[in-house]
Amino acid sequence: MMSRIERPARLAAVLLVTLAVAACAGTQNRHTDPERDPWEGYNRKIHSFNMKFDRYLGRPVAVAYDTVMPDPLQRGVANFFRNLDYPVTFFNQLMQGKFRESGISTSRFLFNTVFGLLGFFDVATRVGMPAYDEDFGQTLATWGWTDSRYLVMPFLGPFTVRDTLGRSFYGYLHPISYAIREEDMYAPLIIDLIQRRASFLDADAALEEAYDPYTLVRDSYLQNREFKIYDGDPPVTDYDAFLEDEP
Amino acid sequence: MKTPRTGILLACAWLAATPLPASSHLDDPAQLVSDTAGRILTRLNENHAQYHQRPELLKDVVREDLLPLLDVRYAGRLILGRSGRDASAEQLDAFTEAMSNLLINRYAEGLLQFRSEEQLEVLPLRGELNERMTRVRTRVRLESGGFAPVDYVFRRTDGGWKAFDVVVEGISYVTTYRNQIMPEVQAEGLDAVIARLNQGQLVLSD
Repeated sequence: MMSRIERPARLAAVLLVTLAVAACAGTQNRHTDPERDPWEGYNRKIHSFNMKFDRYLGRPVAVAYDTVMPDPLQRGVANFFRNLDYPVTFFNQLMQGKFRESGISTSRFLFNTVFGLLGFFDVATRVGMPAYDEDFGQTLATWGWTDSRYLVMPFLGPFTVRDTLGRSFYGYLHPISYAIREEDMYAPLIIDLIQRRASFLDADAALEEAYDPYTLVRDSYLQNREFKIYDGDPPVTDYDAFLEDEP
Repeated sequence: MKTPRTGILLACAWLAATPLPASSHLDDPAQLVSDTAGRILTRLNENHAQYHQRPELLKDVVREDLLPLLDVRYAGRLILGRSGRDASAEQLDAFTEAMSNLLINRYAEGLLQFRSEEQLEVLPLRGELNERMTRVRTRVRLESGGFAPVDYVFRRTDGGWKAFDVVVEGISYVTTYRNQIMPEVQAEGLDAVIARLNQGQLVLSD
């Protein structure tokens, strides 16, 4: 009973923080990509909140974890969580009509779970079973929702409207969400987040050096997203347009 | 009736005057990528310990072996876009130089993580070859056992196929740098950007 009351309270806290951040940050309105990022003013505020959160909590924890955990162990943890993505990947492969690939994902999951110590070792890749990356956002994109507005979420970082919606389906299929919903177990989520953050520590220097870290994160996210939607084979950039005089 | 024939003759003469590529691989960008990577990695493996101690030596290797394959001038024009319209030739040269130094440094740093040639796999071209532009796709095997897809975008120049963009997991260097640098040039001017790029280079080679 307690937890039922707690959960909406948590959500309310997140919303309050969001509103407070939105209200107290400056009213600067830049439009560096009006087409894909029409809410840039709002997004920048959440971005700078996320960066502060990362500087004082996310990054220090990830650095500590990275110092304590040897690389092979980290790889094992990452493998374990990626193996748990299987239900989401499988379901979305079916939704996109990728039946052959969904079969490979199933073999992969079974193989790694049985022979890779519950997914800790990615033995499937070594025997030639490729890893696929599918999620609800990508499914919505293949169903026709190709362009979606960029949206930065508090704590969670870069998203699009489509991918936020996609993400909200996660709770039904992902074992990590299942653990939270049914068992009130937050440890898997937290370890996964720390491991993910630790794997990005290398990118911090580039981000720090960037002229505008906000656009660097946004452009990288949107490009990488398109790459995944097209399963690694996106249309070639229109480089000729880069030379033209249009804004 | 006279002009077209003269034109054709002139074209033939020009073709004859153009030195033919020494071997056919100059016509095959995929071959270019694997040859170049092979050459750099061989040199890397021969002197791995030395390069670890003195990374600037590896930068020279990269400069010698990789730079001739790149069309840095064109990449620079793409990155600057309309913000490079008013730039002088000297400014463009300085910008291109600063960009390629930065790129070489990054590449050399990345190379030190490499262990063997088997880590790089060049995938066959998939009907993407056209007269002007093509994309060579490779996969880099990561320590984790997974792969990072790295594509090289080539264009045909008078000096053969040259790469002008690198796309790592869908993230294009040219696009990303362009989105960073164009607003910076507009806000602070090209000279300030060149100075900062050169400074970054100093910091990185420390």
